[in-house]
This record gives sequence, C-alpha cells and structure tokens, in this order.
Amino acid sequence: MTGLQELRDRDSMEYIKKKLKLVDSWTLIGLLATLFVACIFFSTQSEYFFTTRNFINISRAISIRGILAVSVTMLLISGSLDLSLAAVAAAASMATASLMISGYSDIQSFAGGILVGAILGAINGVIVVKFRIPPIIATLGTLLTFRGLGYVFSGGDSIVIGAQTWAYLGRGTSPFLNLPVSFLVFISILSFFWVLLNYSVVGNYIYSIGSDPDPCRYVGINVDKIRFTLFVFSAVIAAFGGLILLSQGGTAQPRALQGAELDIIAAVLLGGVNLRGGKGSLVGTFLGMCIIGVINNGTILLNVPAYWQMVFRGSILIIAVTLDSFRKGGGYR
Amino acid sequence: MTIHLKNISKSFGNVVALKDVSISLNSSEVLGLLGDNGAGKSTLIKVLSGIHQKDTGSIMFDDKEVTIEDPRKSQALGVATVYQDLSLVELRNVSQNIFLGLEPRKARFFINKQQMDSDAKDLLKKLQINIPSVRSQVENLSGGQRQSIAIARAIARGGDTILLDEPTAALGVEQTSQVHGLLRELKDAGKTVVVISHDIKEVLNIVDRVVVLRQGTVAGEGYSKDLNQGTIVDWITGVER
Repeated sequence: MTGLQELRDRDSMEYIKKKLKLVDSWTLIGLLATLFVACIFFSTQSEYFFTTRNFINISRAISIRGILAVSVTMLLISGSLDLSLAAVAAAASMATASLMISGYSDIQSFAGGILVGAILGAINGVIVVKFRIPPIIATLGTLLTFRGLGYVFSGGDSIVIGAQTWAYLGRGTSPFLNLPVSFLVFISILSFFWVLLNYSVVGNYIYSIGSDPDPCRYVGINVDKIRFTLFVFSAVIAAFGGLILLSQGGTAQPRALQGAELDIIAAVLLGGVNLRGGKGSLVGTFLGMCIIGVINNGTILLNVPAYWQMVFRGSILIIAVTLDSFRKGGGYR
Repeated sequence: MTIHLKNISKSFGNVVALKDVSISLNSSEVLGLLGDNGAGKSTLIKVLSGIHQKDTGSIMFDDKEVTIEDPRKSQALGVATVYQDLSLVELRNVSQNIFLGLEPRKARFFINKQQMDSDAKDLLKKLQINIPSVRSQVENLSGGQRQSIAIARAIARGGDTILLDEPTAALGVEQTSQVHGLLRELKDAGKTVVVISHDIKEVLNIVDRVVVLRQGTVAGEGYSKDLNQGTIVDWITGVER
C-alpha cells in the first residue's frame, strides 16, 4: 500500500507548534513581567512595600485564597467550576468551631470540619454529575445554600475558639526564612497537585476530560467518577483552607471569605487557565495569586479607598477574562 | 474471531434505531456498512463498542455470548472503534491521544512519558503515518493527520476488530486514498474491519462484503464482487426494480 507516508508537513506544523509553545511561554513570562512591574510601581510609591515584613504579609494574605485557587484551577481544567468553595471553607470552619466548643478534641473537630467539606463537595458532585446540572448554576445555588445555612446555624454570630488554638497553623512562621506556615501549606498543596496534574495518569485524564469528555468516555475512562471525586477533593481542600482561616483569627464567621470567589477566579484566569477547560497550570495560578496579592497589598499601603480597590479588582477580572478570550481565539458572539 | 450480532434491537424513546438486526463479521474481512442517514449504522457500531446497550438480541464472539456494558468491555474483547467525529482530545498531543486510557505507567500512578512518546513514534512509523512530532497538539493537525491518529489509536488498543464510522467523510481525494491504503494494510495484517460509509463507489472498491441498513433493519447484503451501485442504491432507498 501507499499508506499514509505521503502525508507531508504541508501546514508547517512544526512552525505553528513552536509559535504556540512561544505563546504559552509568554503567558508565564507576561505574568512574571506584570508582577515585576507591579512590585516596582508600589516600591516607588510606598517605602513600606519592598520590605521583608510586607512580603511575609502578602504571602500570608494569599495563602488561604491560594489554597482555594488550587481547587478552582483543577475544576476549571477539568471543565467544571465550583462557585461555592468559599462558602464550603466558611461552613467547615463553623462546623469545627462548633465541635470544639461542644467539647470534642482538636483532632475530632478538625476531622469534623474536613468531613463537612467532603459532604458539601459530594452534594455539588451529585448535582452536577448525576442530575447533569451545569456546574455554574449548580454551585451558584449551593453557594447561597451553604452560606445561608452557615448564617442559620450560627444566627449570624461568630463562634470564638480562642486565639491560641492551632495558632501555629494560622499565624506561625517557619524557622527557615521566617515564612508563614499557612503559606508553606499553600505551596505544599500546590506542589502536590502540580505533580498530580502534570505527571499522573489521573492528571492526564483531568486535562483530557476538560478538553472533551466524549473521547474519554469512548475509551472507557469513568468521566463521572473523576468529576465527582474532583468536586469532593476540591471541597476538602477548601475546608482545609477554612480551618487555617479559623486558626488565624480564632473565630469562625459565617461571612468568612464572602466574595472571595471572584478574586480567586480572577487570579486563576489571569494565570492562564482556560475557562472552557483543558488548559492551564498551577504555576500560572500561583503567579496570578501573587499579582492580585501584590495589588491588594499595594492599594492598601497607598491608602486607596476601599471602593477604588473594588474597581481595581473588577478591572483585573475583566482583563483576566479578556486574556482568556484572546487565548481561545474568539469571544462572545 | 467471528462476531455474530443476532436480532439486535435498540430504541431511543419512541424512535426505533435498530430492529432485529443480524450481522456476522468474519475474521480478516473488510465489511462495508451502508445506509442512508438514520438507517442505524452508527447505532449498531456504538452497540458493538459499548457506547449504547442493546435492548434485545445477542452478541456472540466465536459462539460465546458476551455482554458489552461499556467501552472498556468492548476493548477487552478486542474491538477498537474510530468514531465519526474522530473523538480525539483536541488540547492533548498525539501521544496522549493514541494512548488515552492505556498510558504506559511507572510507579502505578504516573505516566511514563518517554515510553509513551517512543511507543507512539514506533506505531506511527509502522503505519507509515507522517506527523511532525508526537508532541504536536491534535487541534493543530490537518484532517488527514487527525484521521490517521484516530486509526492509530484504534490499532494501539491491540484489537482484532476495527470499526470505522465514516473514516473518509471529512477528507480530500488524496487523503481518502491514503486512508484506503491503511485499511488494506489492516486487512493484510489479519484484522477484521467494518467501514461505515455513504460513498457506495468507495465501499465497493475497498470492502469484501456489504451490508445495507434501512430504517433500522437489514435491507440487503452480499459480496462486493457480486454487487453493483444500482443494487445497493435500491437497497438503501427501498426501491424495487
């Protein structure tokens, strides 16, 4: 037979591939450049910005949202989304605090909070995977439900567990470089899932399902099981973030992380994750979180009014979504 | 391996897609499955590949009845399928597509990327498929290259039976002839090949035997050397001459 040997590189695929690789590299280089420019700008405007103490503050400030961003990144890459993760984190911290003041041990209370996270993640998973409800609608509903239940449960009040409980987790610093423990936890979680996404079989399936679930089903991959498990894992990670938040302040609040969802999604999109799934990296998410953390910190140091900070954050979200649209080569039609 | 599909029926709600369809797939033959849109060709392929479950009827592999409840079972029985929409993952590379679901592993949970790329190169070389790089993303490949990857993926499953749903529908003349060459090579290698097509002339050129479906039933079958286009058109349209 003549076979397919006559298929030639007529479309100059190597060239296109190299160009695309360059674009991917530019996403990360662009993020680093943006971060650098933001740091330079704020350094010239505030003498407090470029100090070790301030960078430790920034790293502490982005830790919890960063942990949630790991979950959001994995879900977006898989073609899903969970808007309720911040509410899950708040609910987990409420549950843990309630158990602690009811007399349960630290470990039991901690496990209880994680279990609440897993259950709430499973609820999201069932709604999306079994009832086939689009994730954005399903988790918008559960966002309101979980948040509302937190208020109902507490009557709108905070639950105080004391400033010393698990203080090392929330407010401790490492002997090495004096970095916040919460930041190291964030980096550890991010590193673990970076390895999982890039080198494991499951990571390959997460990217593939996000790109197109049908081919995965056709070769026998259990798409629903992976999606459900991702919802549960993401919520467990978010719950862990909620417990670090609890240990930072010593109180559990039903309104904790309210509105953080948009900041987190903005950082993830800014980091190059494709809103339609199948593309993105946790390195990009980390840089996106750093950019938002630096801008938030810088605007506070410059005494920018809170309302203007909202304008900045909204603008970042618009820029992130616009970049995502450009990357896909299209937009709203 | 001979596969017998006996009295297969499949409905989607009130729509009857297949009604008492009986077909045999003989070892090392190329079977052409023809029919108009909605005749039930793709449904039959999907029943055999485990995407759809039959409502009634039986599937025999060498006189042993089997149940194909999902695609993994179908693959375990040695059936590999190239779907009409190719079913490639656009945002993954050539290696990842060829070995999707069959990734070479190390330490159980991790992909052995070097081995996967090397195996993909070897397979493409064996099939004389020319792709710039196994790390090329599928979304950047041409239609012919995608079709080649889809066929390579089916072959990588190691099955004896390859089902191809409209393998040349989206291809130009030259690419079509290249795919025909690949089908002949599969036959020479002793594989059983089922080709779904609308193109009667094409089918008569490349298959040993033809089965025509019309409105979910078998309208006619015969060896391609004994058939002409007119007879097949009559079977497809239901016109008696």
